[in-house]
Amino acid sequence: MTAAEIAFLHDAVAGLVTWQLAAPAATLVAIGLPALVGRPLPERATTWIVGAGFTTGFLAALATLAALAARGFVPEVVHLGSLFTANHHAATIELVADSLSVPYVCFATGLCGLVNAFAGKYLHREPGFTRFFILLALFGTGMNLMVLAGSIDVLFAGWEFLGISSALLIGFFHERRNAVDAALRAFTTYRVCDVGLLAAGVVIHQAAGSGDFAQVFAGTWPNATSLLPPATATLVGLLLVFAALGKSGQVPFTGWLPRAMEGPTPSSAIFYGALSIHAGAYLLLRCEAVLDAAPVVAWLLLAIGVATAIHGAVVGSVQTDLKGMLAYASMTQAGIILAEIGLGLRLVPLVHVVSHAILRSLQILRSPSAMHDRHELAAALGGHPGPSNSTLLRLLPTGVVKGLYRVALDRGLDEPLVARFVVQPVLATLEAAAAAERRWVEFLGGAAAGSPRRGDDGGAA
Amino acid sequence: MASPNDNRDEVARLIAEAARFLPPQGPIDAFVAQNTLQGFEDLPFEEAVIRAAALHDAEPFLPESRYREELARGRIRAADIDAVLAADLGDRRFAHLAGGRITLGELCRQLLLHGVRLESDAAVRWTLTESPAIERLRPDLDETARERLMGLGRAAGAATDIDAERNVTGELWRACVETTSRPRPSVVHGRPPVRHRDLLLAVDPAVDTDALVHPLLIRLVAAYLDQGVAAWAMPDRDRGLLAAAADLVGRGGVLPEGWTRPLPDRMRAVAAACGPGLPPESISLDVIAAELEALGIPRPSWPDHIARSLVALRGWAGMVRQLEIRPDRAPVVRLPVRLADFLALRLLLDRAATEWALGRRGFPIAADGAGDTGLGAAWVELRDRHPPRRGPGSLARGLLLHQVSQLVGLTPADIQSLDDDDLVDLERAIAAFDAVSRRRLFHLAYERRHATEVLDALAAHATIDVLRSGRPRVQAVLCIDDRCESFRRYLEEADPAVETFGAAGFFSVPMYYRGIDDWHTIPLCPIVIRPTHTVTEVPEEGAAALNRRRQSRRRLLARLRGGAESGSRTLFRGGLFTSIGGAIAAVPLVARVVFPRLTARAASHAADVARRGIRTRLELLRQVDVPLPDGTLAGFDVAEMAAMVRRLLEDIGLTRGFAPLVAVIGHGSTSLNNPHESAYDCGACGGGRGGPNARAFALMANDPAVRKALAAGGLEIPAHTVFLGGMLDTCTSRVRWFDLDRVPPSHAEALSRWLADCTRAGSLDARERCRRFDSVPLDVSPDEALRRVEGRAGDLAQVRPEYGHATTAVCIVGPRSLTRGLYLDRRAFLVSYDPSADADGAVLERSLAAVGPVCGGINLAYLFSRVDPVGYGAGTKLPHNITGLIGVMDGHCSDLRTGLPLQGVEIHEPVRLLLVIDAPTDRIRNALGRLHAVRRLVENQWVRTVARDPATGRLATFSAANGGRFVPYEPESLAIAMAPDSTSWYRGRRDNVPPARILAGSITPDTAP
Repeated sequence: MTAAEIAFLHDAVAGLVTWQLAAPAATLVAIGLPALVGRPLPERATTWIVGAGFTTGFLAALATLAALAARGFVPEVVHLGSLFTANHHAATIELVADSLSVPYVCFATGLCGLVNAFAGKYLHREPGFTRFFILLALFGTGMNLMVLAGSIDVLFAGWEFLGISSALLIGFFHERRNAVDAALRAFTTYRVCDVGLLAAGVVIHQAAGSGDFAQVFAGTWPNATSLLPPATATLVGLLLVFAALGKSGQVPFTGWLPRAMEGPTPSSAIFYGALSIHAGAYLLLRCEAVLDAAPVVAWLLLAIGVATAIHGAVVGSVQTDLKGMLAYASMTQAGIILAEIGLGLRLVPLVHVVSHAILRSLQILRSPSAMHDRHELAAALGGHPGPSNSTLLRLLPTGVVKGLYRVALDRGLDEPLVARFVVQPVLATLEAAAAAERRWVEFLGGAAAGSPRRGDDGGAA
Repeated sequence: MASPNDNRDEVARLIAEAARFLPPQGPIDAFVAQNTLQGFEDLPFEEAVIRAAALHDAEPFLPESRYREELARGRIRAADIDAVLAADLGDRRFAHLAGGRITLGELCRQLLLHGVRLESDAAVRWTLTESPAIERLRPDLDETARERLMGLGRAAGAATDIDAERNVTGELWRACVETTSRPRPSVVHGRPPVRHRDLLLAVDPAVDTDALVHPLLIRLVAAYLDQGVAAWAMPDRDRGLLAAAADLVGRGGVLPEGWTRPLPDRMRAVAAACGPGLPPESISLDVIAAELEALGIPRPSWPDHIARSLVALRGWAGMVRQLEIRPDRAPVVRLPVRLADFLALRLLLDRAATEWALGRRGFPIAADGAGDTGLGAAWVELRDRHPPRRGPGSLARGLLLHQVSQLVGLTPADIQSLDDDDLVDLERAIAAFDAVSRRRLFHLAYERRHATEVLDALAAHATIDVLRSGRPRVQAVLCIDDRCESFRRYLEEADPAVETFGAAGFFSVPMYYRGIDDWHTIPLCPIVIRPTHTVTEVPEEGAAALNRRRQSRRRLLARLRGGAESGSRTLFRGGLFTSIGGAIAAVPLVARVVFPRLTARAASHAADVARRGIRTRLELLRQVDVPLPDGTLAGFDVAEMAAMVRRLLEDIGLTRGFAPLVAVIGHGSTSLNNPHESAYDCGACGGGRGGPNARAFALMANDPAVRKALAAGGLEIPAHTVFLGGMLDTCTSRVRWFDLDRVPPSHAEALSRWLADCTRAGSLDARERCRRFDSVPLDVSPDEALRRVEGRAGDLAQVRPEYGHATTAVCIVGPRSLTRGLYLDRRAFLVSYDPSADADGAVLERSLAAVGPVCGGINLAYLFSRVDPVGYGAGTKLPHNITGLIGVMDGHCSDLRTGLPLQGVEIHEPVRLLLVIDAPTDRIRNALGRLHAVRRLVENQWVRTVARDPATGRLATFSAANGGRFVPYEPESLAIAMAPDSTSWYRGRRDNVPPARILAGSITPDTAP
């Protein structure tokens, strides 16, 4: 290959990669702007535009994949610009196309396209129609931004888009209290864990002088090595794992996931069956070199993954609603996938993510068919399968089984633990601060200014 | 002090009383549309909906704005409003107000025709400063009223019209404000609620103990009732909900936090009491009584408290109740379900949450222990503190008076001259005509316009009776279902020699049925009947081996699929399955989403191929008289068959003049990804599919032995008449036929022509249905329409596979000649009835016994789900989540959503069923006298009943006001629209289309064959 050809190929790949990001972003603008000025597009146009964005993005990703494959998966870095530079410190906007990001974009964009086609019919005549597709486009943009990110900063931006679109879709039916509570819960969990990612970014910048993965890792995925000092690598690893726990619904942050099944079915499918739930896995795969450099973190990840998988399997087996059951099934697999990453595997978890996401989103999309499917199954088998109480349970004493059932019905122990040791102290602090503020206001402005409004003296649980 | 036994009886009675108010809906796999407010049928409709709305926190009627839109577009007319006002107010409408300047009737009329809102004091200030309300006259005044006021303004000396307007409105405003500032604003004392939760919520909107209790309660009840979703079933379910739940919660195990802290101890005590000894029912009743005592609820408030506590989670409570009284309707597992258990559990949790919430608000609540914990004192205090509703302030009243004065034509001078009594009377009259009263009258007017439209058309439409005018080529008996109306119309439009009948879709064959692919029997008859016979479908002798091979193949596939499905959720197999299975799942995912119709076709084609060559028959004739394990008999004997055939033929008036081919067509509906699928099936088959009933009926009517028995009883079916069974899929508009190979060769030509007729009628029917779907263009061709409806049935993403009964409004009991050639827009149940052959009214009584509850129930279920889609309906389908295989929740943890989903009722026009009966009024009254349930529906006006005198054709409407008489109906107009065929009449419209005479379908002396 001549230099000219290589340059051409590079430009072509750069264009394609940019398009993968620009396509959903453009649709976001195309349907979002008219809605913003109070003239939302008709349903058909909305789905068509979003569909076109995802489809062309998907095709661009396929073409990129072919181009990369032709050159043996040498990563292509696309430099989009620079946020700021100060001395030897730079925050650049870089995308990277390699054997991890491009297949992942193919799969994520393809799935978004399918869900778009599904939702176009499913949400017909729904008052929040345009809002749903705006959030879907926002999600697609965030997803591709996160996946293609060539630096921790860009990844963080994508990560945040994911979080906000996810929370807003959980609260899609905002006239229902349950939905808003669940959205708030997910949002809070995300925000708490996002601190990990943010801190990891700061530490990486501090240590490497740049957030670019090319400056932090040497070599190509999946055989990259970390350029960070071992202690820093361990710290960054811990922070990244912490960030991943929230998004992927791992112990001890499992509580939000079953509650998240409040939005329309297609958003539940793509977020909690397919893409959002695996964002943590992607983050850790992307930064796998850190885990290699910090075995303690890898072991911790393995332990958390296994614990989550067991938790999900046990709690999931007592769920009586379809979506809740599927949420725990997703959690179990997400746990296994994180454990695989902790074990040092790279391609296996990647395949597992893709495969699991496709299977699970189909299951969630089909969940309203459960009656139909169960009847068909029962008819073919000549009887209802009924509960399949596992042999393990039969071996345990009744008291233990009942106790375990009780714990499972209460969604495990992590929730009350977190509630008691994290949430309650934080709330108590906040309440004390509020009371102190009231006292100060009273002191400064006289009694009238600081008199408590009705309902201030208690309430939040 | 009452003895425990008295207490128990009392509590049990109160529970039974309160249970009437719970939704009557059973498990969702056999969805039967019933009156949502069954428990209120003892009351007149209008009173019932208002009382029920208060209990359920729901809406009694559509929003006023909706009715105003209907008024604006002419769906409600001023004449309707005048008529309902006259009927409602009676002579009171002439009562004088404002010192004799206006009448009550005029006031109410103006308040209905023009929207006047009572604004809050804060809103009034905004209105006064930001809108020209007191500078301009209302824009909707009629010319005379406007001129009169403008004249006053000009007389006061104004240069321009604008000044004149400003003068008079300003003066009127001053007069109104001065007048209303005289008497003091009133305070309205409502009765405070009885539950601690509601009292607390009224004092502090941030504290909702139900939000604490419900998640745990729902989880426990859902786990208890689960029919096989969870892989791990709740332990000890056979001991009852209370015992099982108390055992679990009593274990603690989980870190108790907040309000749940006292629960383990209390639950352990309950669990200990649940041992052997007392019957479980008594334990629950004791717990309820003890909890009510501990909550400090005085005895007179118990009934209300129990009712409110149940209604607070009415979906789940109702399901518990349904499974308690009909355990046979549990889809898989029969459980000892008791509503008392549910209530006891609920009150245990309620008390813990209430104590916690009150404690946090500073009430002195004893930690725990015997006797009074302070809840009673808190209850009394909270009731005292219950915020009274303040009446509107003088500005708000002034503005209201200002607006009303303009409408009724009161001048500033008139207002100033009002004395205090006049003013109080006038304001009271305005206040008494509140939003609910206005909506009630709007609703009556809305229904009146509909009735007028239909009854005028019926009166004007007269045709001659086809039965007596010629020999029909084919006779078709379909279900009375409103969705069959269009199908029948198209069959008749295509050929005047086709005659159709309507009968309840189980065709008088009540049975448990098991097809060759079913695993258990299902009842196929109205839910009020429990069948005593079982009919099985078996493969023909030659196909038995083939069928066995097919069944084992099917079992293998199911095992693989079921294994993969459940395996993908487990820990060990899941890792394996999900990492490999995704590649396989990608195929159905893409296929189902991108090519839904092709995929559905391929799937059904594959099923057909698998079934090919397997001929089946029904085991109809009873071989042995030994009952089956479930107590039913296997098959019928000849006498029973003859009786069923005779009954149906007599009911529909088909006892002579048989055509060579008589088709009996049941109906059902298939759609994917639709938890409410069963709601679209046949109501007369208890939410099942009526195909097997039609098939069984045809086989029986063809049986020579049965015909001989019938002939012996005087009902002669000619030898050349052949009966044929079929099933109409109302979702795909296609008919599936049974036992075609048993039709004799002599009828081959007639048969093939008939099948082609039905295919054609199906595609026209599909096109008429498609006009209702926003996503299908209005100019779609019949073939394309057929493809569209087929595509919807097989599409995972389609939440509106069909609209079901969503336009239902009318039921006509009478011969088809009344309605043949009349376009009824798929809105009418058509029950065939021959009044001339039923002098003693026995047939009418039978028909009404079935029609009243089935059609009335469907109509009322749709009405309430439409009037309040959230309070009575199931809300939007989009977040629905199937739980326990018995119902759907919104999202992860909500009350069971009963009623119909929004997507099924969005196009529904909520009017009560207009039941037209073609029979002398005496006969109707006699029949009703023997039918308690139907009489209640009629007398309390849950259906609007109209009698048509068969001799004179005169209509008379039932009026409860005059002691339950039939009052002659005077048509508004006898002109009826005409159209050459149905298509040209509805073409280009999506909304409801009024009745019209369809010339192609009408039989006139010229076209009679």
